[in-house]
Amino acid sequence: MRPWSDGWRRVISAPVVVAGVFLVTLLAALPLALTLRGMLQDHLGSSLAANDAADGVNYGWWQEFNAQTSGIGTTFTPSVIGFATTLDSVSGLLDRRTVITPIASALALYVAAWMFLSGGIIDRYARGRRVGAHGFFAASGTFFFRFLRLAVAAAAAYWFLFVYVHQWLFARWYVNMTRDIALERTVFFWRVLMYAIFTALLAVTTILFDYAKVRAVVEDRRSMTGALIAAARFIVRHPGRIAGIYALNAAAWVAIVAIWAVVAPGAGGSGVSMWAGLVASQCYILARLIVKLQVLASETAVFQRSLAHWGYAAAPSALRPDPPVVDSISEPRPAPCGPSAAA
Amino acid sequence: MRSRLARCATFIALVIAINAQASQRFDRPLPGAHSPRNASYDIEVRLEPGDRTLHGHERIRWRNISANPASELQFHLYWNAWRNAESTWLRERRLGGNTNTPRADAWGSTDITSLRIITPGGVDELTPRLHFISPDDGNTADRTVASVPLPRPVAPNEMLEIEIDWSAKIPRPFARTGYIDNYYFFGQWFPKLGVLEDAGWNTHQFHSGTEFYSDYGVYDVRMTLPRGYIVGASGREVSVGDGPNNMVVHRYQGEDIHDFAWVTSPDYLVRTRPFTHPTLPGVEMRLLLRPDHAGQEDRHFDAAAATLRYYGEWFGPYPYGNLTIVDPGFQSASGGMEYPTLFTAGTRWIAPRHEIDVEEVTIHEAGHQWWYGLVGSNEFEHAWMDEGINQFSEARTDEVAFGSRNFLSRRYFGGVIPWVFNDIRVEREWDEGLAGYRAQAESDAEATPSFRYWPSTGGNITYFKTALWLHTLENWLGWPTLQRAMSTYFDRWKFRHPQPADFFQAIGEAAGRDMTPFFDEVYRGSNTFDYGVQQFTSTPAGKDKFRTTVVARRFGESVFPVDVVTTFNDGSKKSERWDGVERRIIYRYDSTVRARSVAVDPNHVLMLDANYTNNSRTLDSRAGDASLKWSLKWMAWLQDLLVTYASLV
Repeated sequence: MRPWSDGWRRVISAPVVVAGVFLVTLLAALPLALTLRGMLQDHLGSSLAANDAADGVNYGWWQEFNAQTSGIGTTFTPSVIGFATTLDSVSGLLDRRTVITPIASALALYVAAWMFLSGGIIDRYARGRRVGAHGFFAASGTFFFRFLRLAVAAAAAYWFLFVYVHQWLFARWYVNMTRDIALERTVFFWRVLMYAIFTALLAVTTILFDYAKVRAVVEDRRSMTGALIAAARFIVRHPGRIAGIYALNAAAWVAIVAIWAVVAPGAGGSGVSMWAGLVASQCYILARLIVKLQVLASETAVFQRSLAHWGYAAAPSALRPDPPVVDSISEPRPAPCGPSAAA
Repeated sequence: MRSRLARCATFIALVIAINAQASQRFDRPLPGAHSPRNASYDIEVRLEPGDRTLHGHERIRWRNISANPASELQFHLYWNAWRNAESTWLRERRLGGNTNTPRADAWGSTDITSLRIITPGGVDELTPRLHFISPDDGNTADRTVASVPLPRPVAPNEMLEIEIDWSAKIPRPFARTGYIDNYYFFGQWFPKLGVLEDAGWNTHQFHSGTEFYSDYGVYDVRMTLPRGYIVGASGREVSVGDGPNNMVVHRYQGEDIHDFAWVTSPDYLVRTRPFTHPTLPGVEMRLLLRPDHAGQEDRHFDAAAATLRYYGEWFGPYPYGNLTIVDPGFQSASGGMEYPTLFTAGTRWIAPRHEIDVEEVTIHEAGHQWWYGLVGSNEFEHAWMDEGINQFSEARTDEVAFGSRNFLSRRYFGGVIPWVFNDIRVEREWDEGLAGYRAQAESDAEATPSFRYWPSTGGNITYFKTALWLHTLENWLGWPTLQRAMSTYFDRWKFRHPQPADFFQAIGEAAGRDMTPFFDEVYRGSNTFDYGVQQFTSTPAGKDKFRTTVVARRFGESVFPVDVVTTFNDGSKKSERWDGVERRIIYRYDSTVRARSVAVDPNHVLMLDANYTNNSRTLDSRAGDASLKWSLKWMAWLQDLLVTYASLV
């Protein structure tokens, strides 16, 4: 429990980090949202259909729009309402649903942003004190290219899981095991088992790469292969602690999602209820992000507590070079060519 | 006046001419019966679960009710559609996009081992003469239709007795029939005679996109099964007794029906409930429910009772006295299908109360007792006459009986976890398949024989286009007129085989006008309807004066009369009736107030309008509000997706 509560403390003590990742999440989605707004406005034109769409749901118009649109317009479905957003995203991930190019592009940029920020975030949590923007982005920059190398290995691992393992589980094993079952309830439990196995494999993979990042930052490792091996060793040596932390974080995630399932607003109107719905949804996204940061913070705490000096964080502050004017004063150089030189 | 009288006289003559052209000359009911009973079957069948086979013996009493002698007999052997990969059915399935190769244990087949005709002079063995024909596509690999020439012709109204021994390999489910684990559903399972019409044998091959067609008779079926298996079947159970080898013989009889289906499994809960009504006959409802759906009895019974009530009140009473509702086995592909006095519904283990899928399918399949069961239209050639008319009837019943809790739902996690959108109540036209019709409106004209539709698009034309033009008729002519037409058609054609013209005739009679132009558009044509506003302005034209200009346009190729209603800021309206023939029409108004909005077909009479958003314009558009609201919701959806996928980073 202590690393878990320590993780929360670290997250709460770095509100700028929370605000930063929320801003990144908002900025990643905003451009496409503006594009969709234009598409919706063009389609509605000056039709009276807009009145019902503004005040509630005009599903007749919605179906027409879906029939006539393309690109991100095809993703504008009833799954954008309330709790369906989470059901859609989680089931889309676990069912390996295809993501269209514009969304995939936004996703790639968002993942890259997280890769960049992760170094600074872990460094901040590891140090347990303010590092300032300079220190944060210095650490982010230092570790970004290391994490990029790590990402190659991660990409390969996830590719194997989603392309091969998912296929084995759902398209072969599940089909073969349930082919001769005429009771839906039994088939349902087989499917839950497949999801549990796949989610467990994803979790193990994520934990491995998370701890590789933690060890890379805390110990200033330059070899990501070494970081991975070290992470694996650490996990093997502390399975209970790691599983316990993961379970607590998962429970926090479930609690957040469960609350959202109850309080998520419906379609609503276009006035005050629209803004209230926006605030509610952004609070939910913020809560999800805080849980994600808590995962990193608690993993960092778990690792540091296993060290002899448990507050240890190795990576030195990155040195920023002096500005050019200081350079030129401290080390005089020949004047550049020009009239004064000629003189 | 004179031209109107001439039109009426022509119309009446046409009516008389059409009415004289029933497809079978002698199709009137036998004395004391509801139907001609010209194809009656006594069948004994034994199920062997060990090797998944059926072994049957049937005696058919057939009467030639056509106008011409019959020199051959033609039979359907439907299960041969799954004998090999080159049947017409499987070829068409591949054409429709399903290229999955069936597993080795999936195939099915029917083999006739003996075919004899029984005459006063003796028995004629005809087995060697049996051969396969492919009247639709010439596919010699297709063995779903067999023909046998007769030693002498059977004259009109003459009776013939036929005995057939056969065995069948039960398929794993391709469509509607087969086994999965210890669940068996048997549809189209026995050699069945085609329909001999005045124009000749109407015996189509089994196509992937169409269903069936057969004559009425009496069925007496004895099914020998392992002990412990529960049975549901067409007709009524008359006895249960011991059979050989510790098996049990279930005997069912059904009168005035044109098919016989049955289901058996040891895993069923059996429930019964009577249907009663002050003016309609009582019906004993029997439900076979899967054990994991226990607790959903009421939903099935309530939906079936709603069908018996509303279809009975609107079209005519259900005459059989008993109705079997089958909850099909999961993955059996036998759900959502109709048979005389028995139908399969289909529900889910997790079935929220405000997702009325189970009610919809129950009403739809129960409704087929009228449109298919009692009115025996040809499902090969005119699938819309049962599916489309029934889709309309079902959507109407859904709205009346369960509309208050009919909400949109989606299923996630492989189609398992439902989520109901309490903001989106399902409107009737969505039940009628407006979205599906719109997507494939021009794929085929409805007048095309159904078995010739493109395999993957026929459903949208058959079910949804028909339901939508019937809804249009209801809006246009009024429900009392349409209801009168449909009940007249039902009463006139129950226990018979109608043609499309018979239905159109009933509509025309009730409407009191020539409906040919309407049916030329919706039935014989495949163009789309699309009316809208091309231009709308209301500009100052002097002191306290406004000039309003409305240009309404026919964007589609099909024609229908529509109203054009302009609303002004003081609430006043100007309403025009446009015949919709020309490409556009212009209306101009001078008024002291500015116009606010215009709508073409504001009451949505024309349900087939493929693009209703362009039907209206307003000078005070709220598109900005609507687009902002929904784009913000979409943004939250995208943020959720980003955060979910980034959990792996």
